Amino acid sequence: MKRFDIVSLESPNRAPLRIEGFLFGEENTEGPSIAIVGAMSGDHINQLYVASGLVEYLRIKEEEGKISGRILVIPAVNAYALNMGEKNWPLDKTDLNMMFPGYAQGETTQRIASRLFETLKGYDYGIILEGRRDQGMCLPYVKLIQSGYEDLECVKDLGMGFIHYRPHEPVETAMLQYNWQLWETKAFSIVFGKNGSIDQNDTDQVHTAIVRFLSKRDILDFHVFEGHKSNILDPNRITIVKASRAGIFISKVRCGTAIKKGEVVGVIMDALSGKKLEKMLSPCEGIVTCQYAHPLIFQNSIAFRIASVELCCQIDAKRE
Amino acid sequence: MGLIEEVITIELPVGESFRIQRCRYAPKKEEGIKRISIVSGIHGDELEGQYVCFLLGQWLRNNPDKIRGIIDIYPAINSLGIDSITRSIPFYDVDLNRIFPGSKNDFLPAQIADGVVNIMKGSDFAIDIHSSNVFLREIPQVRIAKSQEEILVPLANLLNIDFVWVHDAVTVLESTFAHAMNTIGTKTLVVEMGVGMRLGKAYGHQLLDGLLNLMAHEGILDIEPLAVRMPIQSHVGEVAYLNAACPGLFVPAIEHCQVIEKGSVVGHIVSALSGEVMDEVIAPISGMLFTIRAYPIVYEGSLLGRIFGKTNGDSQ
Ligand SMILES: [Zn+2]
Repeated sequence: MKRFDIVSLESPNRAPLRIEGFLFGEENTEGPSIAIVGAMSGDHINQLYVASGLVEYLRIKEEEGKISGRILVIPAVNAYALNMGEKNWPLDKTDLNMMFPGYAQGETTQRIASRLFETLKGYDYGIILEGRRDQGMCLPYVKLIQSGYEDLECVKDLGMGFIHYRPHEPVETAMLQYNWQLWETKAFSIVFGKNGSIDQNDTDQVHTAIVRFLSKRDILDFHVFEGHKSNILDPNRITIVKASRAGIFISKVRCGTAIKKGEVVGVIMDALSGKKLEKMLSPCEGIVTCQYAHPLIFQNSIAFRIASVELCCQIDAKRE
Repeated sequence: MGLIEEVITIELPVGESFRIQRCRYAPKKEEGIKRISIVSGIHGDELEGQYVCFLLGQWLRNNPDKIRGIIDIYPAINSLGIDSITRSIPFYDVDLNRIFPGSKNDFLPAQIADGVVNIMKGSDFAIDIHSSNVFLREIPQVRIAKSQEEILVPLANLLNIDFVWVHDAVTVLESTFAHAMNTIGTKTLVVEMGVGMRLGKAYGHQLLDGLLNLMAHEGILDIEPLAVRMPIQSHVGEVAYLNAACPGLFVPAIEHCQVIEKGSVVGHIVSALSGEVMDEVIAPISGMLFTIRAYPIVYEGSLLGRIFGKTNGDSQ
């Protein structure tokens, strides 16, 4: 294992920002290469935890002689934010994952992104550990955006339950996954957990999926058990349950729960009078993939996303 | 007097509603007339637009007989943010100007964006007033995406601003308010002026004159067009960026945006700890310093200023 600074940036007063990388495998290996990027945001604690857990795991595997490719793990990109409870770059509040591919002569966060991206270019595979961009939590899933260079086949080797495969949104052109794909790395994101916390089940599941991927792609010489045959989802296969009222939100289900049509999934209470304002019923049969994770909910917020059996049947029937 | 209405209401969790208010001025006869929306506070830390809204409202209250079109004033789009020095939508920490056109089926910021587009849909014009951020001070300028150049530059020239900056299309900017409105046929200009969290009276009056002039030209106000300044056009030259070479405290040598010579000193980056001058910031080209840093703490790369210089071969 080689531990080194990918980026070191002086600050006016605090200690320099260091983005550290952990490199495993032989320098001139014939095997494939992969880079794994952890917390880009100061509230991506699950992502930090999975990445640092991988560093320790791979250190042991390297000692056992099990590494046949080359692996770079970057547990924390935004240590400055992590160390002060911020989400974004602490001075100008810009999101590092909106700065790619970066610009070496630009603003501070563009320079950081640029130096990081220089290191990330050229890897065969790229995994981005991402948190959600809203107040939700979800069943761990793979996010693969369509840039024209994406690779759906390799993503299946993670053996995760769900792959969200969809066209990219305009803002995503400034994100790492899109730019990494354009530079011909088979890049994808694993989105999981609730921001600002550690979920042991979810993080274990993601760790296992990454180890499975490393093994199946001949980067790690190690037996693994088979995972799921992944379901490929897009927004048309998801049914949304929204809060018709704002108030205190109590969920009655968990992400991953299989539910029937008409089942009670959540309740909203008036935050002052305690009166029950809404009983939320599932409009379809399916699996809860995502739910609102803050105890106070806003009117019209998405409380649940449900992978709908009906919608999948309809879409698949049309295709035949 | 204008009609004040709550045009967007979204319930908040604990005994309050998120609201966007509008003040509408309209003539008695409303058929076949033009409509303009004056918009400020998409970013909650930008307040210069609030002052412009006040000045325009005050003018309209004093001149109701001149009104020939519908004039809608929206001083505070991100009302939660304006009242709490928060640039983004609080709670979600999302930049509202990066999620247009929004959606009813999505989270609060996207619903706000969707609501804003829907209430302003049908306006002939929209003027989206920004005041940079807390880091940079800007002279009054309009920024236009290249694809909209032909339609919008003539309109921007009416606004009594100093600079029209036509920039290349950036995909990220497809999620701005201006892009969303231009797409549905509302000619929308983005004004940047002043600095975040402060207001400058002179710029407010300058833009007021521009708004009155634009409305006079478009028949929304029955007044003579004003004598306004012709803005410098970005296509005749180029923009030089001054980025900090090292971290420290930026001490400007120039107080306001002004015309400067190549080689002149824009400021210094100093060390508060050692007492050393770390770097002298020199203008790489002659021209108009239209952006200058207002917030002194800098990292490597922090933007210190932007200079617009006419192209004559001697610039970097
Ligand atoms: Zn703004």
